[in-house]
Amino acid sequence: MMPEKQTETKPTAKYRSQFRIYVDIMSVIQRESNEAKPTRILYGANLSHDRLVKYLEELKALGVIQETGTDDKIYSLTQKGIEFMNNFRRVESFASAFGFRI
Amino acid sequence: MEFIAFVIAIAIANQALKGYKLSKEKTLLYLNLSFVLIGAGLLVDGLSSLIVFLTGARRGFLYPFAVGYTIYFLAQVVAYGLLVYAYIHQARSVAGPTLVAATPLLFFARNAFTELILIFLLAYIATQTGINYSINKSTNSMLVFAAFVCLSIAHVFFLIFTVAPIFYPFAHIAQLCGFLLLLAMLLRVNRPR
Repeated sequence: MMPEKQTETKPTAKYRSQFRIYVDIMSVIQRESNEAKPTRILYGANLSHDRLVKYLEELKALGVIQETGTDDKIYSLTQKGIEFMNNFRRVESFASAFGFRI
Repeated sequence: MEFIAFVIAIAIANQALKGYKLSKEKTLLYLNLSFVLIGAGLLVDGLSSLIVFLTGARRGFLYPFAVGYTIYFLAQVVAYGLLVYAYIHQARSVAGPTLVAATPLLFFARNAFTELILIFLLAYIATQTGINYSINKSTNSMLVFAAFVCLSIAHVFFLIFTVAPIFYPFAHIAQLCGFLLLLAMLLRVNRPR
């Protein structure tokens, strides 16, 4: 589902929408028992550091994730984020039943 | 039976719209539009049949039946055409315009020509959903596949009905089964986790 590398020289790499990247980041956090360090998210969501920082800021601004800790930053889903992921799973399951990917 | 199928079609359309609002995925918008059209067609067909039934099929009241069936047929062709387009669009194949413009023809009753068009479109969709089921093997995919197989069978029965009227109730039962299978999928998707 996830592209192996996102380089411009690899034409077969699948384009990931911003929405898909948000979902991938939130899925990693959820998979890590809702407490994920940036390194785990970076590898799990297959993002560069700069892009990860950008997307984490955007997700925080949307109120779906929160940051805790001072030296070691930990990210977790807020209640809004958990509800979003539950809705997303339903939609994904529905679309998948018809054979559509989202 | 049309009214039950109408309610299920609108419920499917609503779920697809929710998905589109969340993900902005165009295929879900096509799915939404498709089931809105299927629902609208079923409603019009159901209402026109009801008018004919209530008026005892008097001569002057057969016109609403003809108009109802024509709307139903055109709505289904566009709806299933949209679904076919959605599958083609997703497959990144050549996605030329697959829909035909509404023609001024009026179909007074179910006929072999209209049913063959619907069977062709439904067979394509059933094949796509069958391929999807063979890949992911999930119960929901199986339900959608079975639903479109039932809808295809329903239209085969509608086709046979043009020469053997005994198949009319079987066609409606198969159509209802198809929509009930879609309802089962919808309930499974929305069950609490």
